[in-house]
Amino acid sequence: MDIIVVFLIICGLVFFTGGAVGILRFPDFYTRLHPAGKMDTLGSFLMVLAVSLFNLREFSWAAVLTSLKILLIVLFIFILNPTATHAIVDAGFRAGMRPWTKKDKGK
Amino acid sequence: MKAIGLIIVVLAGALLLYSTQDFPFWGDPASPAGTHTATYYLTKAFEETSVPNVVTAVLADYRGFDTMFETGVIFCAGLGCFVLLRLSRSRDEDSYYRHVATGITLHIKSAKIPDVSSEFERIDTLWTPYDLIVKTVCRLLAPFVQLFGLYVIAHGHHSPGGGFQGGVILGASVILIAISHNMRTAIGRISEKTIHILMAVGVLLYSGIGALCILLGGNFLDYASLSRILFTNEIEARSLGILGVEVGVGITVMAVMITIYNNLSSDGRLDEGL
Repeated sequence: MDIIVVFLIICGLVFFTGGAVGILRFPDFYTRLHPAGKMDTLGSFLMVLAVSLFNLREFSWAAVLTSLKILLIVLFIFILNPTATHAIVDAGFRAGMRPWTKKDKGK
Repeated sequence: MKAIGLIIVVLAGALLLYSTQDFPFWGDPASPAGTHTATYYLTKAFEETSVPNVVTAVLADYRGFDTMFETGVIFCAGLGCFVLLRLSRSRDEDSYYRHVATGITLHIKSAKIPDVSSEFERIDTLWTPYDLIVKTVCRLLAPFVQLFGLYVIAHGHHSPGGGFQGGVILGASVILIAISHNMRTAIGRISEKTIHILMAVGVLLYSGIGALCILLGGNFLDYASLSRILFTNEIEARSLGILGVEVGVGITVMAVMITIYNNLSSDGRLDEGL
């Protein structure tokens, strides 16, 4: 059980690291939102899954209930994180921000 | 004028800083709070009120008078926002309507077509075409946010939370609707009149529970005397009394959050904004 938990946490950390590197390295606003929206969602899914499994080490129905509540967080993150990213992109597009193209390379 | 204000602020700040020297050190075991009240609360709070969360017991029971006026401060904040922004506003603003069948836009000065009309559709002057995805998600999520707010209020006895926090979450759910749809939709769900009544009801509920305690022969906010009408022992009555005032706090905070948002974001016009 512990091995699975550690594996999931490491996987989650890999995704979070990828997201952080992406936010720092990508060239403009829209491309930076891409790792922020996607990597964080999957990363937090894996991490929270690991936490809820860790909670079940000593099995009892109360622990199962707690784990289900923890998994509910994942459900809301899955709905909300893409929506928030979408809203930010939408606002940026309406405010007239132009997406990065290859012509802007080197700026 | 600004210079006078600055001098007053600096003087008051300096006085406050100077007076902090008289405070006991942080975590000083010999301080008055550490020697008497803290130990009393930590050892006796659970057996006297049957509330596991000592913070809630102290805030709503032992120092209930203080918390009542905190609720009053919140109420005054909402009232101040209303008085400053809403009352001083002239009513005849320009408004735009679209005739649904023909698509013609009407510009109307100082007159009102009812907002809900099958022939005309109100257009915001600061309008941004809102998004289907954001709208749908926020509409679906608002009940869950409200459920969580109620949970935080009701679980103040056992976990961090209580009336103030839960009230803010409840208010945020309505503000979410106002942001994702538009302000008129949110006001259609919970009208200005309802909000104002709720603002007063919360404070009234809190102080009403306090006054009821006097009527039943105890001191003001002495929940133990409620045991006579709740048919429980005094300890349970204190626990239930705390829940009652938390609900009152929650109602007031929710209503004040909504009224502050509505007035500030629409400049007191309450028809469109953000």
